[in-house]
Amino acid sequence: MAELIAARDLVVELGAERGLLKRRAGVRAVDGVSLSVAAGETFGVVGESGCGKTTLARTLLGLQRESGGEIRLEGALVSGASPAQARRQRAAVQYVHQDPGAALDPWWRVGATLAEGLRIQGTTDRAEATVRIAEILRAVGLDPALGDRYPHELSGGQQRRIGLARILLLRPKLVILDEPTAGLDLSVQAAVLRLLRDLRDRFGLTYLFISHDLSVVRRVCDQVAVMYLGRIVEQAPTAELFAQPRHPYTRALLAAAPRLGAQASVPGLRGDPPSLRAIPSGCRFHPRCPLADAICAAEEPTKQSVAAGHDVCCHHWRDAA
Amino acid sequence: MSDMLADSPEAAPSLLSVRDLAVHIRTDGGLARILDGVSFDLPPGGTLGIVGESGCGKSTLLRAILGILPKGARVPQGQVLFQGQDILRAPVRGRIGFIPQDPYLSLNPVFRAGDQLLEGMRRHASGSRDEHRRKLVSLFQAVQLPEPENALDKYPHQFSGGQRQRLLIAAALACDPDLVVADEPTTALDVTTQLEILALLRGLTAERGMGLLFVTHDFGVLSAVCEDVAVLYAGRVADWGPTGNVLADPRHPYTRMLLACHPDRATDLVGIPGTVPAATAQPPGCRFHPRCPIARPVCSQAVPEPLRIFDGSRVACPFHADPLPEVALG
Amino acid sequence: MRRLLRDPVATLGLLLVLFAVVVAAFAPWLAPYPEDAFESHLLQRLQPPSREFLFGTDYLGRDIFSRVILGTRNALAVAVSVVVASMLIGVPMGLVAGWRDNWVSDVLMRITDIFLAVPQLILALALGQLMSPGLTTAMAALSLTYWPFFTRTVYAETRRLRGALFVDALAGLGASPSRILLLHVLPNAAPAILVRATIGMGFTILTAAILGFLGVGAAPPSPDWGLAVAEARQHLPESWWFATFPGLAILLLVLGFNLLGDGLRDVADPRLRRSRR
Repeated sequence: MAELIAARDLVVELGAERGLLKRRAGVRAVDGVSLSVAAGETFGVVGESGCGKTTLARTLLGLQRESGGEIRLEGALVSGASPAQARRQRAAVQYVHQDPGAALDPWWRVGATLAEGLRIQGTTDRAEATVRIAEILRAVGLDPALGDRYPHELSGGQQRRIGLARILLLRPKLVILDEPTAGLDLSVQAAVLRLLRDLRDRFGLTYLFISHDLSVVRRVCDQVAVMYLGRIVEQAPTAELFAQPRHPYTRALLAAAPRLGAQASVPGLRGDPPSLRAIPSGCRFHPRCPLADAICAAEEPTKQSVAAGHDVCCHHWRDAA
Repeated sequence: MSDMLADSPEAAPSLLSVRDLAVHIRTDGGLARILDGVSFDLPPGGTLGIVGESGCGKSTLLRAILGILPKGARVPQGQVLFQGQDILRAPVRGRIGFIPQDPYLSLNPVFRAGDQLLEGMRRHASGSRDEHRRKLVSLFQAVQLPEPENALDKYPHQFSGGQRQRLLIAAALACDPDLVVADEPTTALDVTTQLEILALLRGLTAERGMGLLFVTHDFGVLSAVCEDVAVLYAGRVADWGPTGNVLADPRHPYTRMLLACHPDRATDLVGIPGTVPAATAQPPGCRFHPRCPIARPVCSQAVPEPLRIFDGSRVACPFHADPLPEVALG
Repeated sequence: MRRLLRDPVATLGLLLVLFAVVVAAFAPWLAPYPEDAFESHLLQRLQPPSREFLFGTDYLGRDIFSRVILGTRNALAVAVSVVVASMLIGVPMGLVAGWRDNWVSDVLMRITDIFLAVPQLILALALGQLMSPGLTTAMAALSLTYWPFFTRTVYAETRRLRGALFVDALAGLGASPSRILLLHVLPNAAPAILVRATIGMGFTILTAAILGFLGVGAAPPSPDWGLAVAEARQHLPESWWFATFPGLAILLLVLGFNLLGDGLRDVADPRLRRSRR
């Protein structure tokens, strides 16, 4: 499969401020991330809150400017631009917010919100816009008449569908889904996941699927990258990652995830994830790692290949087999 | 519903017994029948999970048990018996511990954590302030809070999310309650922290012989914590029985379809057609019948009585033995 | 709107304001002696209220009732022009300062703070000395000191909305900042601006009256309430009606605007908005 988007050694610094009087250093929310997403696949990014997965998404989208590294979209270098310019270059990449209800302007009817996306992208013909909006609303399983409603008049599932419709109107190639099932009831979640799959097939989309719900990721993703404190610690095809996790963090994460009908008995990790302001030396995971020894505190592990397509950043991944 | 209670096999007195409870709230859109004929029991030291999707009445049930029903709520029928005493009429204080959903919102940021917890103990527990302090410190040790001696003097923002949840567990246990009620206590937490908190909660209540009523929407969490489960749909109990049995062999069509939606289980993602009815416009008869693939004419007329089945579970569907069409289960 | 009417105090404010607007619109027809705006009738000076002159007459024999009615127009015109002028300066500055995150924002807000610190009456007096004292001068002084309130309000709203998810989503779609600010942030900030404007109207009417009283506002013989109170001073306490009725008009209109503003603030409270959803 052809590569759609790729990042190499991406570094993103957040919170650096340059005011009239004050200067403040930022934190590295993403620190040396490389990944490659093939066209047509669903690429999962998992990790706990604060691991940098949302920052990574916003940087790939172009809303957040990277401080280092490069991004390639369909082979062309698109990094190094200002946010406004980056968004124009990366119109093929679109982003669906975690809370699509809050992503709609409460003062605008959803139909107007949908039309606005088209206008921003340069479609000015009203008749064409109306036709396309009706078509896309049907594609996401909504009655086109819903366009006359205000966001707060829609249910959570409907808002999510509107959020998707808004993006699909722009005919993207890569859609970044940020926690697309967070806060949804089980039955609605199933319907949304099914819709996502149908839309992917119908419109030839590629997904970057950000989630902390491992059950869902396992279900829908082809590839999974596990992030911890701004780094990808392990990446593999989904089946392989869930069957043979190599990084101790991945193993802990999988063990901790509540599974249907299974009594989780593995003790969790020691402590809470450290703050980005105080990143541990060497391997960032070593203070919480059951396998850690002196080398882990001293030396940052490099990416090692476990199998084809399965990479891990750990000194002791062989011990974790 | 009295027949169902009459043949109740576990004759042991219940810690918490909800009998035929209905809660109605008058709203602008009409009378909302939030709960309608809910019954279940929780034996002393037992753990019961209340599970259901949004709009099923979980939080109203919780509020009824805690005695904090909102203004305008009416209880036209039913009882909530706590150790045999109807707490809807005579509220009990201090004997039911409560762990709220969001540790970030439950502590006032401008007061020391210790002062807030001690204030609660002063109102609900006997003993001097010094005794209370010692008690809290020992509880902080039990919930594995770092530096338990100093924790009382810290402000809420000095704790991480997981630590705050531990703090609130300690607070819930502080008055030695016989029942602990937890409202989705881990939704705001990360996966790795969640497991620890759940294990801690389960361990502490078991060790102290406390009952645990655990409200959640997550079946995975449920199976990690609860011996029994009651599945709520639109203000009624659909299934009630041992967690393992309900999860392995759900009976009510709603529970069957809901579990088929779980990503761990589904072979194909289907969802349940339609939406949960508004509380002001509940369908007559079985409230699930408009969405049920095996509904028969009688389902829209008669409210199904909970039936006891062989393993002690109860299911509120007379046709629970009928197979569901393949497509509905995916 | 319906919720506003459910609040009796705010409804009273709305009625007072609407009443004033109607009176102002039809002033020449409502006033029994519209020519008394400028003509004097020295023979009937300082007559107490009677059937002929409901509010009595002033020291030039003019019908106070007619002058109060005609003065409504003046008061509202001053209030509207000052508030509109302040909005024209304050709202764009607030939008830009709230949106940008660099020195531009800092500079704009410091300028705002400086103007906020200037005492209104003293600036008006000074301007009156520099230019010729008159209504225009008073209005200029009021606008110059009132716009920072709009900047602060809009700044705070823009800051809040900038973090809103829907603004982020628009940026994600590639919307330009001007589109986001004018089509999305501004409408969402409108309730707050409206509240501020309403309270500003009452405030302006009061200050304009004070300026008129001090002699740097409207010039005689125009029918200005503040001016009338000033003129009446020499004839107190015998001719109590001369000062009372214009004063009462000021009181009622200011009260009306303030009550309405408070009511609007309650309705526009975001917490209430959320509960409706």
